[in-house]
Amino acid sequence: MKIGAIAGITFKEAKRDRILYLLFFFAALGIGGARVLAILTVGDRVKIIKDVGLASISLFGVLMAILIGTGLVYKEIDKKTIFTLLSKPLHRAEFILGKFLGLVLTLFVMTLFMSLIFLAIVFAHTLKIEGTLLVAVGYIFLELVLVTAVAILFSSFSTPILSSLFALAFYLIGHLSWGLELILKKMAPGAGKTLVRFLYTVLPDLENFNFRTEVVHGLPIPPGIYLSSFLYGVCYTAFILGLAVLVFRRRDFI
Amino acid sequence: MAKTSSAKKSSTTLLLVVFLMAAAAAFMALKAATDRVSREKLPGSSIIYIPSGKFLKYATFGYRAVAADAIYLWAIQYYSTPTIDDRFDHLDHIFAIINELDPRYQDPYEVGALIAVQEARNPAAAFSILDRGAANNPDQWVYPFNAGHVALMTLKDYPLAEKYFEQCMKIPGAPEFVERLRANAIFKKGDLRTSWETWLEIYKKAPDERTKKIASNHLYNVKATIDAAAVDDAAAKYRERFGRPPSDLETLFRTGFLREVPKDMDGQDYLYDPATGKVKTVTSPWRR
Amino acid sequence: MADAIRIDNLQKKFRLGFIPKTRQILKGITFSVREGEIFGYLGPNGAGKTTTIKCLLGLIRPDAGTIEIFGRSHFSPRSRQTLGFLPENPYFYDYLTATEFLAFTADLFGLGRVEKEERIARLLKLVGLERAAGLPLRKFSRGMLQRAGLAQALINDPKLVILDEPLGGMDPIGRKEIRDIIVRFKDEGKTVFFTSHILQDIEMICDRVAIIVGGRIVKEGALRDLVSERILFTEVTVSGLSPDAFRDLGESISAQGDRVLLKVYDESKVDAVLDLVHGQKGRLVSLSPRTETLEDIFVETVTRT
Repeated sequence: MKIGAIAGITFKEAKRDRILYLLFFFAALGIGGARVLAILTVGDRVKIIKDVGLASISLFGVLMAILIGTGLVYKEIDKKTIFTLLSKPLHRAEFILGKFLGLVLTLFVMTLFMSLIFLAIVFAHTLKIEGTLLVAVGYIFLELVLVTAVAILFSSFSTPILSSLFALAFYLIGHLSWGLELILKKMAPGAGKTLVRFLYTVLPDLENFNFRTEVVHGLPIPPGIYLSSFLYGVCYTAFILGLAVLVFRRRDFI
Repeated sequence: MAKTSSAKKSSTTLLLVVFLMAAAAAFMALKAATDRVSREKLPGSSIIYIPSGKFLKYATFGYRAVAADAIYLWAIQYYSTPTIDDRFDHLDHIFAIINELDPRYQDPYEVGALIAVQEARNPAAAFSILDRGAANNPDQWVYPFNAGHVALMTLKDYPLAEKYFEQCMKIPGAPEFVERLRANAIFKKGDLRTSWETWLEIYKKAPDERTKKIASNHLYNVKATIDAAAVDDAAAKYRERFGRPPSDLETLFRTGFLREVPKDMDGQDYLYDPATGKVKTVTSPWRR
Repeated sequence: MADAIRIDNLQKKFRLGFIPKTRQILKGITFSVREGEIFGYLGPNGAGKTTTIKCLLGLIRPDAGTIEIFGRSHFSPRSRQTLGFLPENPYFYDYLTATEFLAFTADLFGLGRVEKEERIARLLKLVGLERAAGLPLRKFSRGMLQRAGLAQALINDPKLVILDEPLGGMDPIGRKEIRDIIVRFKDEGKTVFFTSHILQDIEMICDRVAIIVGGRIVKEGALRDLVSERILFTEVTVSGLSPDAFRDLGESISAQGDRVLLKVYDESKVDAVLDLVHGQKGRLVSLSPRTETLEDIFVETVTRT
């Protein structure tokens, strides 16, 4: 399968990138540091470990996705390896999807390792593994997948630095969606409100993948949200990848 | 040949655009669906607009809980530093930020109130913090419990204590003795009638002998207090009339100042002191 | 004989720079390459050779014009199924070994495992890289990279091979090897389309050529037809006579020791020179008629445009 072949070499190339291991080191440091921080607190230690641990996995995962993803396509174009690649009987869509899957695979492996360290530390403290922690990590991974797609989209037409900034902006906007919701509640009906409503619906809502608060405090998660959040992530990712393919198809490679 | 090829290319583009619109429609619909599912929104997080806490929440991008932890950790170190003279100035404010960021984080409420009462000598701040705790965590009985204690012990504000203990009682899981704390607060505040009724309730509902005994002792005490007050009142009137306190209770009864000679709950007589015109109980209510 | 490549009125302009300035690179290219022939594509730097190839391969979208590869529109990726391409400066993933790289390329064509292994072994042998098969590409010299590039261009046993400056940067032995390989392609029935600056090589192996200058095809045709057999001048080297003897007959280029090298422009005068040599008891060292070469045509065409 051609997409598989491209995913394979993308994975091989990504795992050579030193940034991956640097970020992983800091993530491990963060998760391990939670253990140390917990000693300083008065009261429930496990809460801090869970909070910092999940936050580390999330934050460093996003950084990995952005920093590696934005360079992926750009490097091919810059180093001109793309000439040999696209002169093969390959749809441009297959190229984009292959790159995407390769990076997703890389992130999956990194998230797995970070989660193992995290769960080990939690287990050392509570002598049990809660299934809900795995759920939280799972949805963190879904968020990473979406951010990866965004990084690749920008990488297909922009330089790594700009792409990183755009992808980061996407991530920040995604977490401020509820701010728009608040504004909506205060607005008088009219053209302005319709515009804001449209923005609110179209702009990403990354809080849909954030179950960290519920999991750490043991609050119940309504079952309906599992499916709708998951599908939301899948559809939004599909949309972004579709955009990436559209942009990439029209490119000339001088 | 050429025409069909570029037509094919634009038909693929058209297909892509249609796919994009479908995907967009799908995720927009899903977003609406997800919004409808009410996630247990941490209560109290957006009612009052206090600039700093709110701003911090906006600025933490989904890492609210970690920010709360960090600030709490800092606060602990800050309040353990005796050399900072004015560290209590913004006690409530700082803990308000922590509570705002993570309303379900229990430790800061209790510890904040503790610092407020013991170190800052600022019960008002303690109440503010504990009230917030109760508002954000209606299922936690500790907050009205602690607040009741502050009212009872530190402020000696019995009506306030009663209010808190009553609030605490209603929360499932509250200890059974809170009821008694409330009854006692009512007594201390001086509403003897209600106090009697409350203790009677407790006596009737008592699940074991010990509780019954405690309730009984309190009832004895309440009756004794009521009776003592009645005697005191009557004796004062007698004194006013006759220039000196009565020699015994019978005299008061005969002269009509007392409707009846009161006996304690066990049927015993009270000890009357003719010099002062007051009665005392034969035994201590607590050692019957 | 079908056309391997047919290009008709190909046009492309680029908008470059911050304030977009448009430059028309291809101004209407039309030519065709017949199946089974070796076709040379020449032109000065910046004429549009590489742009043409990129249009062919679908790397660039033309503004106007059509391109067909074996009768199939060049837009569909399938047109590249029987095509092999070697870019000018080979750019490959430098952390892969030669074998891994060829295996990856084979995957892109959907080759089966057994076939893949057999072809990789055969091609590595063909281009002389057997011993370097396990080395990562970043350790390869320029010449080795060129050979690896050739191998990857052949992995799918293509019917049409497109080479962009395949002989650049190679030593004379290497160039001979590549030339021989290209000729062998023709024997196997493949079509070869390549660009080169080294006109002697083109002259040696091409059947037909096209010259592109300033985005237009200025000459196209069989090499035989373009390069006439007209003799420009004859170079005669004699010894034992002084240069003065030949003053009327030809131009003396050099005189070293007792050897004189003459350039005789007038064909009729050559016999007169030979008679003189005989008569004066001199010795004829060599005699070479210099016909018009491709280089002459090229220089003339370019300077004229």
